[in-house]
Order: sequence, then C-alpha cells, then structure tokens
Amino acid sequence: MPQLTEDDLYRTSTQYRLWSFNRESLLSLRSTTNESAAEGVRAALHAQKAAEQEQSSKQDSNGSPPQEVDCLSVGEEQKLVVFYCVQTMRFADFCEFPTNATAVQYLKRFYLSNSPMTYHPKEMMPSALFLATKTENHYTSLKSFVSKLPKTTAEDVVAPEFLLTQGLRFTFDVRHPHRGLEGGFMELLALATGKGQSGPNNGASPTQFQKQMVGLDPANGGNKKSRSAKEVVQRIQDAHGKAKEILKTSALLTDAYFLYTPSQIWLSSLFVADEPLARFYVDSKFPTPSTMKPTLLTTLGTCANLLRSSASADPEDSEVKELKRIDKKLYKCRNPEKIDLVGINKAQKREGHEDGLDEKVIKKRKLERERSEKEAEDIFGPALGIKDGK
Amino acid sequence: MAVSPVVTYEATSNIKVTADKAKSLAVRTNSISNQNEAPPEKKQGGQELAERLNHETKEKYVKDKKLGEGTYAIVYLGHLKADPSSKVAIKKIKVNTEYRDGLSMDAIREVKYLQELSHPNIIALHAVFSSKNQNLNLVLEFLPLGDLEMLIKDSEGIRYGTAEVKAWMGMLGRAVWFCHENFVLHRDIKPNNLLIAADGEVKLADFGLARSFSDPYRLMTYQVITRWYRPPELLYGARFYSGAVDVWSMGTVFAELILRVPFIAGNTDIHQLELICQAIGTPTEENWPGVSKLEGYVGYEKAATVPVRGKDVYLARFGTAGPVGVDLLMSMLALDPRKRSTARQILEHKWWTTDPRPTAKEDLPKKGGGLEKMGDDLKRRGGEVEDGRGDKVARKLNFGTMK
Repeated sequence: MPQLTEDDLYRTSTQYRLWSFNRESLLSLRSTTNESAAEGVRAALHAQKAAEQEQSSKQDSNGSPPQEVDCLSVGEEQKLVVFYCVQTMRFADFCEFPTNATAVQYLKRFYLSNSPMTYHPKEMMPSALFLATKTENHYTSLKSFVSKLPKTTAEDVVAPEFLLTQGLRFTFDVRHPHRGLEGGFMELLALATGKGQSGPNNGASPTQFQKQMVGLDPANGGNKKSRSAKEVVQRIQDAHGKAKEILKTSALLTDAYFLYTPSQIWLSSLFVADEPLARFYVDSKFPTPSTMKPTLLTTLGTCANLLRSSASADPEDSEVKELKRIDKKLYKCRNPEKIDLVGINKAQKREGHEDGLDEKVIKKRKLERERSEKEAEDIFGPALGIKDGK
Repeated sequence: MAVSPVVTYEATSNIKVTADKAKSLAVRTNSISNQNEAPPEKKQGGQELAERLNHETKEKYVKDKKLGEGTYAIVYLGHLKADPSSKVAIKKIKVNTEYRDGLSMDAIREVKYLQELSHPNIIALHAVFSSKNQNLNLVLEFLPLGDLEMLIKDSEGIRYGTAEVKAWMGMLGRAVWFCHENFVLHRDIKPNNLLIAADGEVKLADFGLARSFSDPYRLMTYQVITRWYRPPELLYGARFYSGAVDVWSMGTVFAELILRVPFIAGNTDIHQLELICQAIGTPTEENWPGVSKLEGYVGYEKAATVPVRGKDVYLARFGTAGPVGVDLLMSMLALDPRKRSTARQILEHKWWTTDPRPTAKEDLPKKGGGLEKMGDDLKRRGGEVEDGRGDKVARKLNFGTMK
C-alpha cells in the first residue's frame, strides 16, 4: 500500500500549491504585477491631470502633453519591500511578537501580486504584523497593538487588512524552517553523543557515527579539527546558533520561501554555517549509492548561495542612500487613487452594504426614508384645517 | 511513513509542477489583462492581480437560496456557474460590527486550517472569495445528510449496530489522524460537528476553535471543546496539551454512538469532573503522575476516590462493541493524557480488522437532514450549539489569558 510521506503532506499545503515558484516564474509574475501597476499609475495620474486642467481654465485647452511618469522597476520595488520587511522584523522584536517571520512572509506574498506603487509597504506593514498575531495565536487587542506603534491609528491597521487577506489569497498558513532546524540539531547532538540512530538504509552503528563526527573537516576552511566528542558538541551548538540567525534574517528576506521547501531551507542554513557537518548529516540519511542524494545536494547548494546573497538586516549607508532615492522616486509615481486606504476601506464597506443588505433592512430603510420624506414635506406642520378639525 | 525529515523528493518533478502552476497563473493574468485592454475602462486597469483573481473566483459560483442564518454566518446553497447540477454550500461570514479588530479569530482559524487540510473525512473548502462589502465567503462541500447527532438521537427511527459504529468511528479516526499529522488540533470534536455527505461519508467540520500544535513552552487556553466531550486535563486547567484532547473527545463520541445518549453529560465543569470520576475513575497521582500540579486540580478524600474502572464495567455498558472494541474505547478514555492512545495508534488497532467488518458507507443508515440542517450546522461559529443546550457551549476563548 502506498504510504503517505512528509512530502505528500507538504504538497497539499497552500505554501506549496500557491506560493512555490521557480526563478523564472517568480520574475515573470513580478514583472506582470509591475507593468500592470505602472499602467494604473499612469492612467490615474493622467485622469487627475485632465481633471485639474478642466477645472483650472479652458483657455489653454490644448494643454501640455502628459508628462511620462517614471515608474519603479521590479528591482526597485523589491529593494523597497525587503527594506520594509527589515523594519517589520525590528518592530516585532521591539514589541516581542514572535510572529515576525509570518508577518514578513505575508508582506512578501502580498507584493507578488501588488506593487508598492499602488500600496505603500509602510502602510501594509502594521496590518501584516497585526494579522500575523491573529493567525499565529498571539492575539493582542487592536487597542494595545496600536499603542505600541508611533503615529498610527486603529483604522490605519485595520483598513488595509482586507486588501492584505485578498492579496494572500485567503491563505494564512506559513510553513517555517525553524522547527526542522531544532529537530536536526537534536539529532546531530544525539549522533555526537553516541545515542544516534542511522537512517533506514544506512548501516553505521551509533559509535561509528560518533567517530566519524570527530573526524570531520573543520567548518568553513578552518584548520582546527575537533579532537573529542565534547568538542563536536560545541561545534554543533555553534553551527546551530549560526543557522538559527540565518533563518531569522536571510531566509526571510530572500526568496527562499518561494523557491525551496522548509526542510531544504534549514539544511541549507546548516550548509552555510558548517558545510562538512551538513554533508555528514545528509550522508547519515542515505544509503550509498543513492540517486537522490546528488539532486538534493545541488538544490541545497543553490539555496545556500541564495541565503549568502541576502540583503543585510542592517543596511549600510550606501544601501540606505539607495533606498531613500527609491522612496523619493516612489513619491512621484504613487497611484493617487490608492493612497487613502482608510477612505477606500470605508467607501467599499458602504458600497457593499447597499447591495449586500437583507431585504428586511432595505425595507426598513425604505419605510424610514418615506417617513422622513413625509416629515420633510410637513416641515411647516400639517395643514391648518386638519389641526383645527381635531 | 514520515521516516526522514529531509525532503528528498526528486527536485526535477517538483520544479516541473511549480513551473506548470506558475505558467497557468501567468497565462491567466495575461488573458485577463488582454481583455482589459479592449475596453479602456479606468477601473479595471487599476485593478491589481489579487483583485482580479478574487473576482474570477467569485464569478465561478452562483448563490441560490439561503439555507440558514446565525449571528456569525449566513449559509447559502449554491452551484458552479459552469455546471448547474453541481452543489456547494456558501458560508458568508458576517462582518461583526461589535468586533472592531478586523477579521475575527473564528473566521481566521476556520479559513486557515480548512485551506490546508484536504482529506476525504474533512469538509472540503473549495474556494474563498470576498464580496463587495468585504464579507468572507467560504465555498464548502455540500453535505446534505445532516450530522451524527441527528442519527444518534433518533433511536426510534434509525437502527444501527457495531458495524455501522465501526464505519463512522473509522472515518472520524482518519479525520483526526490527518489533522494531527498536519500538526492541527481540532478542539471541538462532537457528534454535531460530524456532517454526512450524500454518499454516507462522515466529514469533520467546524474548525473555528482549531489551532496548530504549540511550540514548547507556549501556553494554550484550556477553555476549548464542548463540555461533555472535554477531557479531564482541560477541566483541570492544563495549559500545555496535545492531540490527546481530541482523542478523549473521540472516545466520548464512540461511547455516545453505542449508548445513543451523551456518555458524560455534566451541567457545569465541576459536575462534568464528578461524572468523569464516576464513569472512568478519580484522577490521582497514582493513575496520573503529575495531575495534582495542574492549576485546577482538586484533591479528593481517599474514601471518596473511585478506582479506575476495569474492563468488566465497560463490557457491561459497551459490550456490543465486543471485547476488542472495549479495549479501544478504554484506550481513548485513559485519564492520563500520556497513556491515552494517539490518533495513529487508534488507526492501527485490532478492532478494525475484527469481525464485524465496518459497513460500506453507501449502506450506512441515512436520515436525510436536508438543506436546512446543513444550513444550521454550518452557520455556527466554533463551540456554538443550538438553542436550549447552551450550557454545553465551550466558553468563549479568552485571549487575554493566553499570553
């Protein structure tokens, strides 16, 4: 009977079904979003200008030809989104919300189908964080959440929530690599202390594993080999700390979640932290020879490179300068119709209410209207004769 | 299963699938934007991809008639526009004007978990879309034959035996196993959350109280699961717990299916605990090491303690399940959650392969709850029950104490 594997289960997740891509498809999706947003910006600015001209005077109705708007490129959009992801992480740290990883992924997912030119990340950020506190069982009341944010009202947080959930395509589950790393860490410690169990097809005994680990090449080109099991334990702890840091930063800021599975991500973080140790761990899982192993190692290699290429969670001056330039540019190419999110939200709710109302309520309103109309007609009171007649 | 923590699936086929999917997404967007180019309508040009996808989903379904309405949701019968003979239930979650914190927790939980869990014994969520007024609409599987509670209660009209109980319990067991395998706790298992499909298949519904397994040291609330189905550890205020809470509920449902009345039906939480002591035995440090450390544990006089009931007591009450069935029932109702069976152990139990064989789902007794019943079942929010049985309602989640 075919057995359900962890892979089968992962493939049923929305993270796999809706949020996994390859590099090409990811880029093409972002380009489409960028183009369509730029189109929207141009159309909106054009309309705005036309309206202004019409209002100001009809004298120079030929007007000046519409100025071409300089819109953000896909790359610029990306840099801006990553910057606000970093901001989100900082803010979440400050408030001690352990849900920042989810909030950051919400932003990254949202900006696959939305452009910063339409919705500024600064305005989506609080909403993403707040939604993450709700989806990750860290619910704090909106009131106390807002009190921690500078210059933000409750409305500012809630108004974009609907847009956000729509952009997330109503999927809230994010599968993170953190738990996998903890499991691998515990396994490695067990192997190092001679309590390990080998993979299903690997015949090595616990003591053989323990010996192999002492003999491993030093991490990242160092020259000091471990001499004892105790030193191996220290080495594992160091690697664990480094890998954990990578998962908290690079894994979130790069496209790792879109391109790789959580297990691939944590294994790759271990590769970055201590490659010989990571290779040993993978070896312990496979029978020799295995056809799957080389494929896996190639995947882990490319993922590790991606993690190494991550934008820093602590941007340098030159990067900050570049971000300022982009933000300035964005100021001129924002879609004027989508700036007032609170207003849009209110309008949508109103609009919807009109067509989504129950018949009962509609009827009630009609009666009220009729009554008030009558009252309005009778604004000077009923006809004198009637009054006298009473 | 789940032997290796390494995802070693052939990366090539992985990539292919994702590429195909991405392509279809890209193709879809293109075709839409092409359509948009034709009429230069301002509004459509400014519509972002997500908005268009939502619109597309919404356009796929047609709402037919209202099946039921509660404070939390309105349920409609609907169908696919492309296939008028198809049937779906559309649950429109009302925007709660009292709740100013945006999307409510019940709605978030329900959507979050149903999006992830695809299993024949869990109600299928076909799609989610929002209507203009920002209401969430859940397109759910159409389940017209009522729920297990209806069948249990109709002891005059519906006759069933061990083979039927085995079939229903098997379906429930698979649903719970699948939740736990995906690290999800349901936290509200009870007969009226077990809906019945047209072909007799039982489907676990109502994920309004569900949550993911907690991280180590992260507290959870104990105010979950409808009282009659709530395990002793929650009644004692445990803040760390596992899938064992759902297993206890399964045990009480198993017992109820045989008895045809709720097995342990307390009027208050204290009463519930008293009844558990009588029916199963008094929890003590001997049969449940560590129980006295739970916040809400109440010590018992030595003389007042009821020893843990032996198999003979169960055989006398649940004999129709047979001795092997009674073993299974007892393993689900172990006081100490660590000694309780896991969902997986339940599926591996001998009972399933012991005579009689479970009834084929097509041959299971049906009552035909009809459309209204489905409307009633779906309009509830997590933990909510029908009028008149309000005392059974799981108390409202108190998030303030969850920190």
